[in-house]
Amino acid sequence: MSAQRQRIDGATAFLLHARPFSETSLVLEVFARDHGRVAILARGARRPRSALRTVLLGFQPLELAWFGGGEVKTMARAEWLGGLPLLMGKGLLLGYYLNELLLKLLPREDAHPALFDGYAGALAALAHGATEPAELRRFEKSLLRELGYGLALDRIAGSGAPVRADGVYAYQPERGVVQAREADGVSPSLTFAGKTLLDLAADDYGDPRTLAESKLLMRQLIAHYLGGQPLQSRRVFMELQEL
Amino acid sequence: MAYHLLQRDPGGAGRLASALDHALKTLRRCARCNTFTEDVVCDRCLSPRRDSSLLCVVEMPVDLNTMEQTHAFNGLYYVLMGRLSPLDGIGPRELAFDRLLARANDGAVREVVLATNFTNEGEATAHYLAEMLRARGLKVSRIARGLPVGGELEYSDAATVAQAFIERRDY
Repeated sequence: MSAQRQRIDGATAFLLHARPFSETSLVLEVFARDHGRVAILARGARRPRSALRTVLLGFQPLELAWFGGGEVKTMARAEWLGGLPLLMGKGLLLGYYLNELLLKLLPREDAHPALFDGYAGALAALAHGATEPAELRRFEKSLLRELGYGLALDRIAGSGAPVRADGVYAYQPERGVVQAREADGVSPSLTFAGKTLLDLAADDYGDPRTLAESKLLMRQLIAHYLGGQPLQSRRVFMELQEL
Repeated sequence: MAYHLLQRDPGGAGRLASALDHALKTLRRCARCNTFTEDVVCDRCLSPRRDSSLLCVVEMPVDLNTMEQTHAFNGLYYVLMGRLSPLDGIGPRELAFDRLLARANDGAVREVVLATNFTNEGEATAHYLAEMLRARGLKVSRIARGLPVGGELEYSDAATVAQAFIERRDY
């Protein structure tokens, strides 16, 4: 089958972002379980009586069909799968944060089913009222792992010696865990208790210090992989917290 | 449209051009409701027949027009001229939430009715406006969401019916 005629049917996906295109259409960025992040043109989706208006909702599981071999596909069909309450309040803002991470870090058309399942799980937790930071940390970790930036949190880089719960360490993005005293020019705010690293490795967020420190560690790593691109959703979230 | 006017209706093109030019030169934002007007404060905001204790917040001037067509609301308005859109970098600063706050705190307003759209962006906007206004002691309400008048389940979209079920109320 030629690339031009390639047709995908029955793809489970979430809409990450939509932007207006021409008078009546939208260009969607979707995250499909078996196809990764895909750009799709939805013709006529902005017409006043378009049935797509109530289907193309963010944070809701959809079933999509599209065709085309270029960078932007053409949507053939969209159905709302349901089963997930709409996000509300703070959960909605956190949902935008997850979407922005996927939009900025995930390359196009690279399937990541495990990450998709993690994203769906995080949305379900947010939709049921959890705004627990632990959900965000789990998602950020699985995102970095799927992108190939897996974190080695329980071993010291180079020597492979185990991280001790009572030690103090720093984390260097391309290298891994180092002793805090060996990390040149690391501010004290970017050093982490060994226990934090071990808890993060085990997804155990019961300790308030682990929660606070793992947030800083993940922020440092995500900023590194974003290569200086600012996160709009974080800025808006911070401004809203100040109201 | 430009080609059509140039070829078939040069008079209409002139009228359209001068109307746009007039609008650009004379239209400004109402100091109270933020919608487009030619005056400092628009006629609606000055009308003594309007209930100044009710303030309805909408996203755009077209939404204000729709609310007016209902004849169900006799209060005053505030037009945001947009909605929160975190992925496009539109936040409380871009929408000047502080202007709305100053408007709602004029002493006359008792209840703020949030009539932003039922999209994710409209919902996020409503949530944060509600928190901000409640913290200042104002009563906040939200227009209801559900099936349209005369709506039949059979012909309604599944997402609307699902949300109407989730938000069902005592009857």
